[in-house]
Amino acid sequence: MRFLLNLFLMLVIALAVGFGLSWYALTDGRLFGAYQSGPWTAWTQSGSPRRPLHARLPHPERRAAARPGRGLQLVATTDSDGQRLDRACRYRIDGRTPTATFWTLIPVAVNGASIARADGRPGFHSARVARANDGSLQLYVSKRLSPLNWLEITGDGPFSLVLSLYDTVFFSGVGSNETSLPSIIREGC
Amino acid sequence: MVRTILYAIGGILLGLAIHLVVILTLPRLADNSVYSQIVRSMPSTRPNFWPVPKPGEANPLRLDPNVSYAVCLLDLTDGPGDSPGVLPVAFWSIAVYDRTGTVLYSTTNRDGIGRRSSLGIFDPAQTRLLAEQKIDIATGALDRRIAQRRRLRPHPPRPAASRHSRAL
Repeated sequence: MRFLLNLFLMLVIALAVGFGLSWYALTDGRLFGAYQSGPWTAWTQSGSPRRPLHARLPHPERRAAARPGRGLQLVATTDSDGQRLDRACRYRIDGRTPTATFWTLIPVAVNGASIARADGRPGFHSARVARANDGSLQLYVSKRLSPLNWLEITGDGPFSLVLSLYDTVFFSGVGSNETSLPSIIREGC
Repeated sequence: MVRTILYAIGGILLGLAIHLVVILTLPRLADNSVYSQIVRSMPSTRPNFWPVPKPGEANPLRLDPNVSYAVCLLDLTDGPGDSPGVLPVAFWSIAVYDRTGTVLYSTTNRDGIGRRSSLGIFDPAQTRLLAEQKIDIATGALDRRIAQRRRLRPHPPRPAASRHSRAL
């Protein structure tokens, strides 16, 4: 009887660990080879022939991160305090972006759809934002009118911010990577 | 008690083995990979522009709405592929993928190619035959490739102006 109980315990643990880890790798998987800096996550090895096994799994963010031509995509699902991004709140994206030919910042829903106003711009573009004299940025994402660079979003529920860098030197060892990603600050809901 | 702990450790090891089997087999079994979606939606080998995702529309491939994407499916069993054309002055990049999503080759407008693209795509046997050609060569182990070309889209009209014109 004790042998059967131990065997049952072993099988339960095996199934929980095996399928639990697999489920995590398919739905989030940031612990498996993702680069994280503050709220931003990037799958830097997507598309590489030497990418690890977990980076080969079919995952929307990983397949999107396979940007050729020295491109990179960073995704934030939380603000800098770790709270889930919510469309009912106003967020300020504050700081600097890594060196790149250009970048875009798009707010998206869970299915990847842009949640910007339908008759407006889909997101921020580096060539069309106002900057401070020192080159820093203050971008606002909210449903209500905001100062400076404002992107109006629609709908309710959680969302993500997708920062796409094109022709970037991020991860090439040039400059300071850690300090060049902007913070995401919740200003009110 | 010691025996129970050993069974628990055995369960963890067995679980890791299950996880390894899952992540090794899943990419082969997945029917919603980018490659299979391209094959389903673009049966011809001519370059196809992917529709730019509009706000509110599902965007499973996570395409950037500020960028235009053109995709061409190439079958190298019938001979080498090529991607000729004139490229815009704005940012562009060309990449060659295999069916697993691995980037075999990529280039951008900053690599000094100029505006006229002359990219040849060969398998290893074809590469040996054409080693003396003065063209860019991308090689790989598989017989099918996807060439993706993307460029920065022109600036869209300012939303404030469009609202104003409608109000008039």
